[in-house]
Amino acid sequence: MNNAIIVMKKELARVFLDKKLIFSLFILPAVLMFGIYSIMGSMIGRFSSDIMEHISKVYILNAPEDFKEKAENKGYFDIADVTVLPSDTSAETITTVKDDILNGDAELLVEFDKDFINTASSYKNEGDAIPNVTIYYNTSGNYSNAARNNFVNLILDDYKNTILSGRFGGNLEVLNAFNVKNEVIVNEDKANGEFLGMLVPYLIVMLLFSSAMGLCVDAIAGEKERGTLASLLLSPIKRSELVFGKLTALSILSTLSAIVYSVSLILAMPLMGSSGTMSELNMNVHFSAFQIISLLIIMVALVYMYVGIISVISVLCKNTKEASTYISPLYILIIVAGMLTMFQGGVEKSDLLFAIPVYGTALSIQNIMTNELTALQLAFSAGGTILAGVVITFAIAKAFKSERIMFNA
Amino acid sequence: MIEVKNLTKVYKLSKRKMAELKTKDSIKRAADGISFTAKPGEIYGLLGPNGAGKTTTLRCIATLLKPTDGSVAVCGHDTVKESTKVLERIGFLTNEIKLDPNFTPKYLFSFFGRLHGMSESEIDARRNELFKYFGINDFEEKKIEELSTGMKQKAAIAVCLVHDPDVVIFDEPTSGLDVITARSVTDMLASLKERGKTVIISTHIMSEAEKLCDRIGVIIDGKKICEGTLDEIVNSTGAADLEDAFFTLYKENHKEEA
Ligand SMILES: Nc1ncnc2c1ncn2[C@@H]1O[C@H](COP(=O)(O)OP(=O)(O)O)[C@@H](O)[C@H]1O
Ligand SMILES: [Mg+2]
Repeated sequence: MNNAIIVMKKELARVFLDKKLIFSLFILPAVLMFGIYSIMGSMIGRFSSDIMEHISKVYILNAPEDFKEKAENKGYFDIADVTVLPSDTSAETITTVKDDILNGDAELLVEFDKDFINTASSYKNEGDAIPNVTIYYNTSGNYSNAARNNFVNLILDDYKNTILSGRFGGNLEVLNAFNVKNEVIVNEDKANGEFLGMLVPYLIVMLLFSSAMGLCVDAIAGEKERGTLASLLLSPIKRSELVFGKLTALSILSTLSAIVYSVSLILAMPLMGSSGTMSELNMNVHFSAFQIISLLIIMVALVYMYVGIISVISVLCKNTKEASTYISPLYILIIVAGMLTMFQGGVEKSDLLFAIPVYGTALSIQNIMTNELTALQLAFSAGGTILAGVVITFAIAKAFKSERIMFNA
Repeated sequence: MIEVKNLTKVYKLSKRKMAELKTKDSIKRAADGISFTAKPGEIYGLLGPNGAGKTTTLRCIATLLKPTDGSVAVCGHDTVKESTKVLERIGFLTNEIKLDPNFTPKYLFSFFGRLHGMSESEIDARRNELFKYFGINDFEEKKIEELSTGMKQKAAIAVCLVHDPDVVIFDEPTSGLDVITARSVTDMLASLKERGKTVIISTHIMSEAEKLCDRIGVIIDGKKICEGTLDEIVNSTGAADLEDAFFTLYKENHKEEA
């Protein structure tokens, strides 16, 4: 045990005595995360305000007589540059306008049926003519979409109300069958917990693996490649002590790195700007001591197992390149396992499923978030993962004893 | 004391290795029935050309490889059954095994000292002695990766002697070193012998074997061809010096593979 601690300290010293490594492992990810999020936030902000401020170029064909007056009243001329086309406009001009819309040089062409108002107001019985308004716009242009929405909301709705109120003698309430009132009844903790319950297991399961990946490949396959692992095999200590020391140190480092990632991820999210749902969410979920302790137990077991799995592959490979090649598909598998739980919320799971490494862990974290984890599930989940970790430790120790694996012999 | 009895080591060859060695055999007998004994207070030399099986033999002594046949005992402990006991008593230096480039000589010296169960004061005393002898103090705080070949080799030797082992196994200890550094290494080996250690080295350099070794075992194609003191080997072949003797033995015993 003493020897395992000596080995562990050396592995930790490798990182903590090296300013460059500290920077690239713990500081750079946080800086990057904040950088990416604030750039994304300011881009989204600029994008939406740009659309709001844009004056759209709008063409109206066969405008009703009172169009100008209505548009003036609604302040429509402040947001649109309107050209009213006379009813004898040539087909070529119309085509040019449509091309402009396609190219993004104009946003909107609205064509009213001739005699629009008269046709609409003279409607009496079923079968009478209903006039058309045709709107030409470009669904792939953000400005064009916004221009269409503005036109419908400001001008057409107004026409609709005027015409309908003429038809029903000023009483539009006849058109309203009932009102729907939304009264939200929600337990804030559980609602937020459910959201976190979806996101956090996924993040933990994934981030822990990705942080462990680089570290372990270098510490095992890298050391093998550089010929430094063999120097450890010349020391008179048990192989299992050597493996346990190394894996423990790697687990600590991976956990730290994953914590840096998730903390900066959560802290950086508000930088995305007010448009995101994240900032509207009240993140003040209250965790009980049991929740926190179970989360810790599960994470520690999980990270040790991850480190073990990656190390098993690393020790079997000749160099870091080969190891990375084999570990990448595994990473995808882990991401899928995490995602599975994301989309399977709510269904009752047999307690035994919690003993399945990775999958059971994600289930447990999900239940911790919603405070539904039972002690039995915790025991199954931690037990399954720890068992896997122990098996893996001895497998690696065995590999360290194999001359074929260590020396190609 | 090292007792090698009928040591045979067979490598299974991968397809790539077979192509590399230009052979059709799927196995390679790197050591083929080698026996010898190296005693305390002597330097035993394994002399042979590249690929003769020297490194293989030394790795079997150092517990890193298991003999396919025969046995090796170090200070009375079998290298397979009691490998930890053997590792406690040996210092093994070989080119393919390197010090971790991210650490300083000072750190690694203490690290391996601790793994050998030494106390901090024992480690300090030993470091003062060895670092002074090899002049390591000047670069003890530099990372291994920043050191020259000679400095690295000095650090590696100091580290493998940290626990003052009874048996010292050096695989081509002077290869790639300048004359001055090589001299400090051979002087160290001579002084270890004076202190009653069992020293075994491998070399393909005749002058080194001549000057340093009390007894020499000549190895060709995995077999020990002859053994004795420098004079005995030279006399038995009727040659003028070791190089001539070695050449005669090589011609007699090396068969070109078909
Ligand atoms: N891991 C291995 N797998 C297959 N063949 C090997 C291996 N190591 C060494 N050999 C072969 O065994 C023979 C002896 O190698 P070695 O003991 O390194 O010789 P030396 O140290 O005398 O130069 C060589 O032909 C070498 O190619
Ligand atoms: Mg060799």
